[in-house]
Amino acid sequence: MLKVSNLTKKFRSGDTVVTAVNDISLTIPSGVFSTIVGKSGSGKSTLLALLGALDKPTSGTIDVDGQNISKLGDSKLIKYRRDRIGFVFQNYNLIPNLSALENVMLPMEFSGVGTKEQKERAGKLLDQVGIADDKQNRKPGRLSGGEQQRVAIARALANKPKLILADEPTGNLDSATGKIIIGLLKELAKTEDTTIVAVTHDDGIAEEAEITFRLKDGHLVR
Amino acid sequence: MGVISRGIKNAFRNTIRTVSITFILALSIAMSLVMLLALKTVQAKITSVKSSIGNTITVSPAGVRGFEGGGTLLSTQNATDVSALPHVAKVTKVLNDRLTSTDTNLVSAIQPGSFGNRQRTRSGNSNTNQNQQNQAPANFTMPVEVTATSDFSVVSSLGISSLNFTSGAAFDANTTDNVALVGKDLATKNTLSLNSIFTAYGTTVKVVGIYDTGTTFTNSALIMPIATLQKLSSQTDQYNSFIVATDSIDNVDSVSSAITNKLGSSTVDVVSQKDSSDQAVQPLQNIKTISLYSLIGSLVAGSIIIFLTMIMIVRERRREIGVLKAIGSSNIRIVFQFISESMVLTLISSVIGMILGFIFSNPVLNVLVANSENSSSTGGGGQFSGGGAGGGGFVMSRIGGGLNSARGALQNIHAVVGWEIILYGVLAAIAIAIIGSAIPSFFIAKVRPAEVMRAE
Repeated sequence: MLKVSNLTKKFRSGDTVVTAVNDISLTIPSGVFSTIVGKSGSGKSTLLALLGALDKPTSGTIDVDGQNISKLGDSKLIKYRRDRIGFVFQNYNLIPNLSALENVMLPMEFSGVGTKEQKERAGKLLDQVGIADDKQNRKPGRLSGGEQQRVAIARALANKPKLILADEPTGNLDSATGKIIIGLLKELAKTEDTTIVAVTHDDGIAEEAEITFRLKDGHLVR
Repeated sequence: MGVISRGIKNAFRNTIRTVSITFILALSIAMSLVMLLALKTVQAKITSVKSSIGNTITVSPAGVRGFEGGGTLLSTQNATDVSALPHVAKVTKVLNDRLTSTDTNLVSAIQPGSFGNRQRTRSGNSNTNQNQQNQAPANFTMPVEVTATSDFSVVSSLGISSLNFTSGAAFDANTTDNVALVGKDLATKNTLSLNSIFTAYGTTVKVVGIYDTGTTFTNSALIMPIATLQKLSSQTDQYNSFIVATDSIDNVDSVSSAITNKLGSSTVDVVSQKDSSDQAVQPLQNIKTISLYSLIGSLVAGSIIIFLTMIMIVRERRREIGVLKAIGSSNIRIVFQFISESMVLTLISSVIGMILGFIFSNPVLNVLVANSENSSSTGGGGQFSGGGAGGGGFVMSRIGGGLNSARGALQNIHAVVGWEIILYGVLAAIAIAIIGSAIPSFFIAKVRPAEVMRAE
């Protein structure tokens, strides 16, 4: 359901042009947990940003369920991100003065969902990722790293996206917690019929994926 | 939770910062309010002072000064002619007389003193013996001044700035009864009380009121109905002066010229208080200027405070803005969130600022007035006020009384807080909040959501 064709992204750095993503083509079916692996500077975060419509490619196309998102205007991109994509970040990026429940409710608020429905679904999602009721009204500062990442995953699922993009989701976690998080993502890919693409430099995580893509200097390598 | 409630919650995210910003902004708003109040109060006072003394013209017979000089007294026809002139709002007719010991059984409450005896000597009514020039003969008393006006509401026509009754009340200005109001000093001297009878002009006159004007000279005088005084003093259809009020201070010069042209410069002397009014309100104009610039400065300062605060907050939350965009928020929604936060800070500051402004408005205004008074001119009126027998006269005392009223007006300025001021304060706060967060909003729009992909 995710198809990338000849995707390229160039940045200008002073007088130099840097090609962060160089002519990448790949396909990821629905309901699959996949990983993009590469060392620091290989272009994996840039590729993730392009897949998530956080940035526009220099050339090439990105098709999600048949829709070419690389040609969408800014307002349509916002709607697309809101309705079709969920993000999980390395450092969680939860809003610090909102509770876990309120953080999960945010994407639904942006989509115009009613408050009562927001609360119900947010509560269910937090239950699903293993955040007990007594912790759902806590602010992120009072949750552990693993718990915060679970909340971030629940937030990513809020609007029932077809694609979840995770940027180093276990980067700030210990190995045991990281394994739990990866296990959760794999399970959710199946139960929510969502395509999950996780960017990592950890080969151990890549082994957990059904499909793995390796990046080196902006190129896809076999 | 909606965007506005999130913005409100964000306003209290950092307690120390919120308290600091609120306090500083409140001071700025308090200053703005104080200056706005000062501006409006002083403007109202300027208008009041100008309308009370600046727009009057005194018309007196050419060559007359009180009971000195010569000339022909004014007539009813003269009053009618003046009333018909453009921009004349009102003509008040005034008649004066003096009662000597042969005219009345009243004894003046004013002792001759050195001034009175000097005037008596120079008028040729005293012993010319050099050794006795400054001594009164045993049977000498000062004359009793009598004034009549066609309009009691124009107290300046009586040569006073205020008329307060200690007993009784004023008579109908149009009556022809033999009645009088007696100054309290004169009443005490002659053991007069309400309904007492005294003789004047060979007839009896009834006391219908006793008054206090605050000055010895006018508290030793009588006020009678104008028709009665004309009848008893055989001055029918005669007046010593007219007090002419114009419809605006801007027309004083033109009306003065018109009166002189109509009645003739050889017939009347025309004196206006316009220049005196301008002089009297000059300190108020200075306060008005200071207030206006301070108001503008305070508003600018308040806007800068909230602007810099929001810039700081937006920069601090750049990553958070990127996250909100990444998870689907539009720029407009984020901007509204920050405007809400800005509005909360500004409105809380406004409430505190308004309370401080209300408390300090009068003290600050008093300081401004006191400083302006110290540098204002006090010449002009003083030399004309009051006066003993002869000499000074009622015309000059009326001008003096008017100027004294102006100086009194400068001292009696009080800021009054009304709903209009509160509404201005709230509107100004909202404007400051919106303006203060408008430019930071530009920075919000510039945040690229892709920035959140990079770890801190």
